[in-house]
Amino acid sequence: MQFVRLVLFGFLILSVLYMCISLYSRSIRREKLEDEWDENPPEGASPEKRASFILDGMTKYESGLRKKLILLVFIIPPLVVGAIIYFIN
Amino acid sequence: MRNIRRFVRIALFVIVASWLHYVMPQQDIARITSTEIIRSDFSSFNRMFYAQADSGSVENPTRDLRLINTERKATYFFGLIRGGNETMVYRNEDTGWIYPPYFKFDSSDLQAESAASISTTEPYDWVVITHYGWRLRWASIYPNAVSVRPAPSEDFRPFPWLNMVIFALLIAGLLFLRAMWRQFRERTVDPLADKVGDQYDHVSADISERKGRVSRWLGTWRKK
Repeated sequence: MQFVRLVLFGFLILSVLYMCISLYSRSIRREKLEDEWDENPPEGASPEKRASFILDGMTKYESGLRKKLILLVFIIPPLVVGAIIYFIN
Repeated sequence: MRNIRRFVRIALFVIVASWLHYVMPQQDIARITSTEIIRSDFSSFNRMFYAQADSGSVENPTRDLRLINTERKATYFFGLIRGGNETMVYRNEDTGWIYPPYFKFDSSDLQAESAASISTTEPYDWVVITHYGWRLRWASIYPNAVSVRPAPSEDFRPFPWLNMVIFALLIAGLLFLRAMWRQFRERTVDPLADKVGDQYDHVSADISERKGRVSRWLGTWRKK
């Protein structure tokens, strides 16, 4: 019963953490893209071009490895728990 | 106001620090003198300091508690200063699947190990007892022994590597949370607040303009 409770609450907490981290990571990525554009805008820069540049970068990010790495949030804590169980017992 | 804030901050710090002091592993150099089992009837106050029944068993209001009686090297000031010998009693309980997260299920084995290293005649066999918790006599609570391993010598002073790692991870986690919060404020809250502030400015400008119109109209009735 305790084990079920641990798994349920652990999953809930990790899900919240996952959401927070992915929002944070997305926000950082967007900010970097904006800064990159603003630092030296190419010839004939317009707000539309800037928006499409950022959208491009964001779609690249959404399918990239970095985003998938956030899933480690669900993998590492169970591994840590497993390691603790192994070393303590 | 500032005093209240300071008080709240200090209280929070003391609570977190003592909680960490309670929960973090500590290592004692001790000599096991005996092991025993007592029946324990918990009160509603000291119940929270005890773990639950062995992880495979059912929880009852009363149960047996394994104890490890030792003579240990007294330590003061987080183990930095070492005193003479003193007696210390450890309990030996499963922490099970929940708090604190030691995931200890092998109390019986630990009890057997400690019974095997009982040392009452010289030369003594000293052991390192890893434990968490406090001994509070007036509340009848004991630190919970987590593991027992032989110590190289009586003067052996284990370095708390694990605690260092845990503290480093905690600090890193806090910094990360702070970075997340700052990013959230910078990108989400502040623009919103700016927008609201902008709107407020517009509205107040509007109001003052209207007021101006009304007072100008009133002014036309005044004598010049």
